[in-house]
Amino acid sequence: MANYKDIIVGCIDKKGGIIEAFHALQNEFNYIPHEALVEAARVFGVSEAQAYGVATFYSYLSVEKRGKYIIRMCESAPCHVAGADELLKALESQLGIKVGETTSDGKFTLELTECVGQCQATPVITVNSEPVFNVTTKILPQVLAAYK
Amino acid sequence: MIKLTINGKEIQVPRGTMVLDACQQAGADIPTLCYDPDLKLAGSCRMCVVEAKGRPNLMAACVSPAENNMVIETESHDVVESRKIILELLLARHKLECHTCERDGSCKLQDYCYRYGVTDSRYAGQGPHFGMEDPNPFIKRDYDKCIMCTRCVRACEEITGAQVINVKDRGHHAKISTVFDGKLADSNCVFCGQCLMVCPVGALTSKVSAGKGRSFQTKGVLTTCTYCGTGCTFELNVKDDNVVGVTSVRDSEFSPVNKGALCVKGRFGWDFIHSPERLTTPLIKENGEFRPASWDEALNLAAEKLKGMKDKYGTDSVAMFSSARVTNEENYLAQKFARVVLGTNNIDHCASLCHSSNVAGMGAAFGSGAMTNTINDMGEDARAIFVIGSNTTENHPIIGYKIKQNVRKNGAKLIVADPHCTDLATMADVNMQFQPGTDVALLNGMMNVIITEGLLDKEFIENRTENFAALKQILEKYTPEYVEPITGVPADDIRRAARIYAESEASAICYSMGQTPYSTGTDNVKSVCNLAMLTGNVGRPGTGVNALLGQNNVQGACDMGCLPIAYQAATDSEIRDKFEKAWGLTLSAQNGLTVTQTINAAHAGQIKGLFVLGENPIVSDPDIQHVDEYLEKLECLIVQDIFLTETAQKADIVLPGLSFAEKEGTFTSTERRVQLVRKAVSGPGEAQDDWWILCELSTRMGYPMFYANAEEIFEEMRLLTPSYAGMSYARLQGSGLHWPCPTEDHPGTPILHKDIFSRGLGLFHAIEFKEPVEL
Amino acid sequence: MAEEMRVLLEYADKINPESADEYVKVGGYVGLEKARQMEINDLIQEVKSSGLRGRGGAGFNAGMKWSFVPKNAEIKYVVCNLDEGEPGTYKDRIICEKNAQALLEGMAICGRAIGSNQGYIYCRGEYPFTVKLLKNAIQSAKELGALGDFNIEVRMGAGAYVCGEETALIESIEGHRGEPRFKPPFPGVAGLWGVPTVVNNVETFACLPSILTKGSAWFAGIGAAKYPGTKIVTLTGDAVNTTFFEVPTDYILRDVIYKLGGGVKGGKKLKAVQVGGTSGSFIPEQNLDTQIDFDSMGAIGAALGSGAVLVLDETRDIVDIVTRISKFFEHESCGKCNPCREGTFRCREIMEKINAGKASQKDIDNLLLLTRVMQKAALCGLGQAAPFPIQSTIKHFAHEYARKIV
Ligand SMILES: Cc1cc2nc3c(=O)[nH]c(=O)nc-3n(C[C@H](O)[C@H](O)[C@H](O)COP(=O)(O)O)c2cc1C
Ligand code: SF4
Ligand code: FES
Repeated sequence: MANYKDIIVGCIDKKGGIIEAFHALQNEFNYIPHEALVEAARVFGVSEAQAYGVATFYSYLSVEKRGKYIIRMCESAPCHVAGADELLKALESQLGIKVGETTSDGKFTLELTECVGQCQATPVITVNSEPVFNVTTKILPQVLAAYK
Repeated sequence: MIKLTINGKEIQVPRGTMVLDACQQAGADIPTLCYDPDLKLAGSCRMCVVEAKGRPNLMAACVSPAENNMVIETESHDVVESRKIILELLLARHKLECHTCERDGSCKLQDYCYRYGVTDSRYAGQGPHFGMEDPNPFIKRDYDKCIMCTRCVRACEEITGAQVINVKDRGHHAKISTVFDGKLADSNCVFCGQCLMVCPVGALTSKVSAGKGRSFQTKGVLTTCTYCGTGCTFELNVKDDNVVGVTSVRDSEFSPVNKGALCVKGRFGWDFIHSPERLTTPLIKENGEFRPASWDEALNLAAEKLKGMKDKYGTDSVAMFSSARVTNEENYLAQKFARVVLGTNNIDHCASLCHSSNVAGMGAAFGSGAMTNTINDMGEDARAIFVIGSNTTENHPIIGYKIKQNVRKNGAKLIVADPHCTDLATMADVNMQFQPGTDVALLNGMMNVIITEGLLDKEFIENRTENFAALKQILEKYTPEYVEPITGVPADDIRRAARIYAESEASAICYSMGQTPYSTGTDNVKSVCNLAMLTGNVGRPGTGVNALLGQNNVQGACDMGCLPIAYQAATDSEIRDKFEKAWGLTLSAQNGLTVTQTINAAHAGQIKGLFVLGENPIVSDPDIQHVDEYLEKLECLIVQDIFLTETAQKADIVLPGLSFAEKEGTFTSTERRVQLVRKAVSGPGEAQDDWWILCELSTRMGYPMFYANAEEIFEEMRLLTPSYAGMSYARLQGSGLHWPCPTEDHPGTPILHKDIFSRGLGLFHAIEFKEPVEL
Repeated sequence: MAEEMRVLLEYADKINPESADEYVKVGGYVGLEKARQMEINDLIQEVKSSGLRGRGGAGFNAGMKWSFVPKNAEIKYVVCNLDEGEPGTYKDRIICEKNAQALLEGMAICGRAIGSNQGYIYCRGEYPFTVKLLKNAIQSAKELGALGDFNIEVRMGAGAYVCGEETALIESIEGHRGEPRFKPPFPGVAGLWGVPTVVNNVETFACLPSILTKGSAWFAGIGAAKYPGTKIVTLTGDAVNTTFFEVPTDYILRDVIYKLGGGVKGGKKLKAVQVGGTSGSFIPEQNLDTQIDFDSMGAIGAALGSGAVLVLDETRDIVDIVTRISKFFEHESCGKCNPCREGTFRCREIMEKINAGKASQKDIDNLLLLTRVMQKAALCGLGQAAPFPIQSTIKHFAHEYARKIV
């Protein structure tokens, strides 16, 4: 955790930019480490409890350690009618984890999300925020294999 | 004014009035859960919804400004339906155990369910249940009763400024939590319990009061806190002659200083009242062991011993220590007892260690050695606050909260100078961590900047002060660069601090024990007085030199004359004359011994007897070893206290007195506000009023003293104490009075030295920096 | 009329959206130049009389909103709402991907009108690539000097639908939990960091350049008289062409689905359309001939909202979909106010019970009562709108519910 301080300081010129700092931290660590949250609170002049309140409010932010690739499956109505339920089952069984968990090799974390704004090609998953379109259960193994 | 119609009734309110207040004015009671008049608005519980004609949705009355020609219904079909459903939604996840709930009878949820006939919830189902045990001795949070009104979060943020809790997660999973959902004890929580005060339901309750009685079983007795000099008031909750809790009083009429806020000591520290360790009978030591004795026996013995020593070794062989913890009435009587009955001016109390520098320093500069302004001045009117040598949030929590609020809410500037990095320092605009004991250098440095940069108040100096030239001359060499190596504070910080202090419209200085208990204490005090006068920051709201006194009645004990060199000096024949007339005998014209001198004199064998009322010098004195030895040397030690303290254990005779909860009287807070102490419960066993004990002793020693109650003592005292002359118990009922209050129609004096200093002109002292001998 | 009418998307895929130079070549930044020449009052009047109404859902006249901003305030902000959290909606992303410079120009025009030189774009956290695109576009515009002294900063959301609500959005830019504020005060008076702030949707801003270049009368003449201009709609679900279209606002729903959308997939019959995203009402087949403009939609108890169109074929299980939608609201409720925090949770609970075939008519009655209270008493639009899918389906598709209750 060498550089979390630098990452936070990098956002300091953004007024109220603690969420930007959280994003930057997540880009580096995939989650917001505790000491980084405390530091961000200090830098942005808010209480630790407040910073924690912010970090836990937003579903894209996590204060728990996560895997290298964060797979988020959209379950909003357009994806739901396109078969998201089935896809979720397939994801769980192929990754061998339940929603919210991380594979034992630390590679994948599986999460649910609401609409990611790519409803022209449902069902959609995102992997580290990159959308993958029209993910059928059939092409799923192929999709997952792309992540090393 | 705007006009609106509420439930068919037309009313007028000023623009900016909220619908909630307008409804109240029209006699319509609006239920509220999240609304708290002392906190920022949330508008979130939606209990207060009302119907405004022509609007599609209901509006939350608490956050909606009244508009001209609004037509409002407060109990329409839709309104009642909404309130009922909101209650049902809350009940759906609420642990309904009113029969064992601490807040039964004082719970808003319960009240409103009753009002709207909501018996149970059609929406009862699943719901998140968060754990509830937080292992701390004071606060119990039961998440299954939480209604997420966030009043606790807002109170923690806005009243105390601790900000240790917030909402975690969102939606139905949201819960109140500390950072990382940890324990309160691991957070910065100071356990002030403001969260308990504002919680409208049973989610937050006091562990200390748990199971001891609910609001409808208890009677509230308004009184004044016995811990620090702030002078907070609260109600003691009494059930069956027992104190079972403390309730904040938020009405500023009855809680003028703290307005309901309390610190951990005030809110939770009352359980000592019924401690099994309390003294219940007089004790007499025989063969090194205490044995209980009757009052007659103990008092006779004490009188005999005191009289014996007086006769054998002379009047000045006996000394008395009074206490900054006991009431004005008791202090008055104690010094009267010493001067009249013991015949000595050897009367002192612990304040001579901490407060005498104020008395001397401020007395010399201003003519009066007391805090010049009020606590609320620092919380509201001051635009800049300079805190030096005070860990305010720690030692005077409520004053600390107020300073924080002033900084956060009103944008007041904060300068902190302290050898330690205090809590306030972390939020200061300038934080000067200086070398201990270099106060004078630092202050001189600031004044040097003010003079060099022309930031001084020439008019004030010219019209209201004297001896400026001498100060100016010695300040010349104290440039920030000169002072930096002495104090360890960067020159630029000294400059910034000086500018902030000098340029703000109203700057208050606030200091405490960090400044005074040094050999250079008086110099330090004189220096802050210099600084204040230099910039004209005396005599106006939000300014002044504000010495924060440690114990609840330091100011009062001094005012009452429990000082060897009292405000009303024994060496002054006119004053002596006044007292001699009142008390009917001749008084010693010689100044008495201070606490420290008494100790030394005992060592030297000059002091043979000591009567200690409510003090514990073994613990409060700097040199414990020394005190211990001299107590051993005394021929007779009499201690009057509520506990068998370290000092009492050394005594020959111990007399059990009463705690603040068991007696009447007055305390004078650090801001010179005199407030009533009221009896809530009876004392334990045979313990007696401290003034009764003194009267009995006095009578037995040949000077009959008799009072029917504390008020009679006060009445005698005020005849002899000009600054209290206009006060009476009747006048003190509400928010008390600030001395000086010379006549019965005088409103009291919140701000001293308004147009003229007590000594006429303010006196500058040219003070060179000297290393204090302690360091 | 069966073709699109492309105004905002006229140069889609013909120019590089990031490049200010390319945008200028096709007539970009002329509107801003014109705005700079105009008196402030005339400028606001011009926008007012174009009849442009907010494209973010509430349909408020843009010029009118600007006119409420106090003139004497020293600092003011222009905020662009690119939160686009409404499921089924992706038109703001499309506008950025096809014509980002128009958004920047529109914001600068607003800045000119209200006297602000600082803009913020609040982009949802799901669109990091759009953030990148916008940053490049801003850079390009700056290099060209097109924005003058108007600055634009991009801020990112982090997965909270409620942050599309303007005051929650403001809270989020300030670095707080995205909980809506009560109104008044409206952002126009006290918004971002307490100063006057105009919040408009991406599409609203993107309309402005052409209004200024071609004139308010031209704009007012397009589409429905009371909600003029074009609207970008996004098709999802069982339509053949699940993509975006820009159409004049007097276009009817049936044409969106059958002419542009190519009808229902697999030649199936249509059961329902949900317009306006997940918080919209479900519209039965018989109402398909309604124009998509704000007021026409309102007249049939629906809302244009963001312009998302979810098409459901005859095989779809309405109760199941509404159950899923109720879970969306439960998940997205910020939790600040009681009716919504507790209400969305209980709605989901009851919907699941119905969907599982375990509910009775009593449950449906309780549900309707609850939604009525949420609609009337919730603090913000989320809690107020969450009931629409439930209420509209119980009304129009009662038989689907009837089939499932015991
Ligand atoms: C729950 C909720 C979500 C919203 N989401 C969005 C959104 O994603 N994008 C948007 O432009 N407006 C959204 N709005 C509307 C905004 O509050 C606001 O009305 C709009 O940004 C104003 O811009 P306009 O006048 O240009 O439409 C939402 C409102 C609510 C209540
Ligand atoms: S309606 Fe819902 S989203 Fe809006 S403030 Fe209330 S809880 Fe939050
Ligand atoms: S009291 Fe008004 S919303 Fe809670």
